[in-house]
Amino acid sequence: MSIEFQHVSKHFGGTCVVDDLSLEIRDGEFVVLLGPSGCGKTTTLRMLAGLESVTSGDIFIGEERINDVPTQHRDLAMVFQSYALYPHMTIAENIGYPLRVRKIEKTERAKRVNRVAAMLEIESLLERKPRQLSGGERQRVALARAIVREPRAYLMDEPLSNLDARLRVQMRGELKRLQHQLGTTTIYVTHDQAEAMTLASRVAVMRKGRLQQFDTPMNIYNHPANRFVAEFVGSPSMNFVEGKVDFDNGTFVNDSLSILLNASQLSELTGQSDLTIGIRPEHIQVLTEPHDGAIAASVYVTELMGNETFVFLSVGTNRLIARAPADFRAEVESKVWLRLAIEKAHFFDLVSGDVCYFPVRRSVP
Amino acid sequence: MNHKDTKSTKSDKQGSLSVLRVFVVNNFRYALLLPALLFALAPVYWMLTISLKTEVDQFASPPPWFVFTPTLEHYYDAFVTRAFGQYLITSAIVAVTSTGCALIIGTMAAYALARFQLPWSLNRRLSLWILSTRMFPAIVTAVPLFLMMRDVRLLNTRASLIIVYTAFNLPFVIWMMRGFFADLPRDLEEAALVDGDSRLGALVRVVLPLVAPGLAATAMFCLIISWNEFLFALVLTQTDAAMTLPVGIAGRVTQYEIKWGVMSAAASVAIVPILVFALVLQKYLVRGLSMGAVKG
Repeated sequence: MSIEFQHVSKHFGGTCVVDDLSLEIRDGEFVVLLGPSGCGKTTTLRMLAGLESVTSGDIFIGEERINDVPTQHRDLAMVFQSYALYPHMTIAENIGYPLRVRKIEKTERAKRVNRVAAMLEIESLLERKPRQLSGGERQRVALARAIVREPRAYLMDEPLSNLDARLRVQMRGELKRLQHQLGTTTIYVTHDQAEAMTLASRVAVMRKGRLQQFDTPMNIYNHPANRFVAEFVGSPSMNFVEGKVDFDNGTFVNDSLSILLNASQLSELTGQSDLTIGIRPEHIQVLTEPHDGAIAASVYVTELMGNETFVFLSVGTNRLIARAPADFRAEVESKVWLRLAIEKAHFFDLVSGDVCYFPVRRSVP
Repeated sequence: MNHKDTKSTKSDKQGSLSVLRVFVVNNFRYALLLPALLFALAPVYWMLTISLKTEVDQFASPPPWFVFTPTLEHYYDAFVTRAFGQYLITSAIVAVTSTGCALIIGTMAAYALARFQLPWSLNRRLSLWILSTRMFPAIVTAVPLFLMMRDVRLLNTRASLIIVYTAFNLPFVIWMMRGFFADLPRDLEEAALVDGDSRLGALVRVVLPLVAPGLAATAMFCLIISWNEFLFALVLTQTDAAMTLPVGIAGRVTQYEIKWGVMSAAASVAIVPILVFALVLQKYLVRGLSMGAVKG
């Protein structure tokens, strides 16, 4: 079922928490609302669920305007961050609760509960109580309760954030497979950009209540609409250097470095002066020998990740992070040389943060 | 040699001293509890024995503490000859009904105050106003209530007591249950709503089972207050048909004599229902009394 937000706003007293949000979600899509704490993503989800009222604007599920439809009639299923399992009921009763309130009779209920429990591999837990289960098991039960009734859409509010790192990665994969299997529209809220990138068919990045960009993960990564999105997505995050374009020399300069720009960039950027340049860590190559055109830098610190090495660099007053192969080693304060893949650089307006120049042609979703 | 001897005696003494100290420390609490227990239970014991003693034994000096010939004549007198059986039934009906009403109405009010955000700070204002009705001495309302009940012809009826007791228990129920509801995480009711349940269904199926200890503690307090209530029963009921136990017992103090035996017998019976109820619910009581009853 498709879901649409039309100019939806939410105010709590004097504070605007969601500001003029318009979003169109297609049937069967897995959309992730991504953003830092307080950006309005959870409030948006709760407005869709009916747990918060809408101050202005309309929300549609399919063709139906649901602003005034009470929560229990919206036919949506929600997985809460705390799982919200009913502590006084067994797991089987927890999963069967949505069916029980719809007055579905006992044998049919038991059949559906068992089928869903088998799908999520929790049959052995059906007679236990929630307090006897581990975090990962509880999360599966919460999922089971959501999928047992085949709703119009699934709403998930940071369901993986209470799990340890390893379990989180494992559940991420299982969630993705599950959604693919069931084909139901899913809206997922998280502050973890890795989750967004791996799970979503499209990501809506939000900041302070406003939508920043709504696109596929790859487009968000390769063509961020503004500096905030560029900085938020990608780990380690994009490097930003503020400065000016020197059109006479065809370079980007600030007080400690000078980067040669290519012709296409120079032509697109005519008229702009104060800019921020953004380069991803994987587009900076660290060399131990001086090279033609390479920028001199000194190593601040290195982090050995096992499969690669993060090199923290200082170029004058600028700080940069580069990705290097796993066997790269350098002493702190040692001199290195950087070769930048300048054709992959992004340019942002210094004041507004909006992007001025896209490096590669954008793919249409 | 001498030095060694002195040392061993000293440590022996210390050893036995420390054993004694450990014993005292561990059992000190019983030493404290015993007098308190005696202080609390002595009157009850006295009352029980008076109810079983003949009148001669009751006034004997020195009183026969443990050895006397028991008699059931006072019990017979109270419950068969006189109307104490009637008073007992009246007390029971009034206490249970008023507690039930107060619980139902009060729990719903408490839920609304805890969960719904009302405009103009009404949540806070209503709660304080409700609590304020318990802040003045009950006797202040005795005469107005008498006049009101007289005007609606409810004097000397159980209904008048039920209405008054419900009104007085309501603030207490609301105040206690509001705390229990506020302690419960909202997640669970929200999950129930999203799962398709109505507000009332969520309250009954999800919330109430989780505040059951609080409910039990509140019910307990209401029952005790209603059962023991004397002032309004005295003011509003004068006939045998409508009188409650406390009034009935106190009425044995007449101009001419004090019927201790009958009073004690009736009082001994009056304790029993509350005692049984408390024993049955004591598991819930302890949990309910320690605030923050449930963590979901």
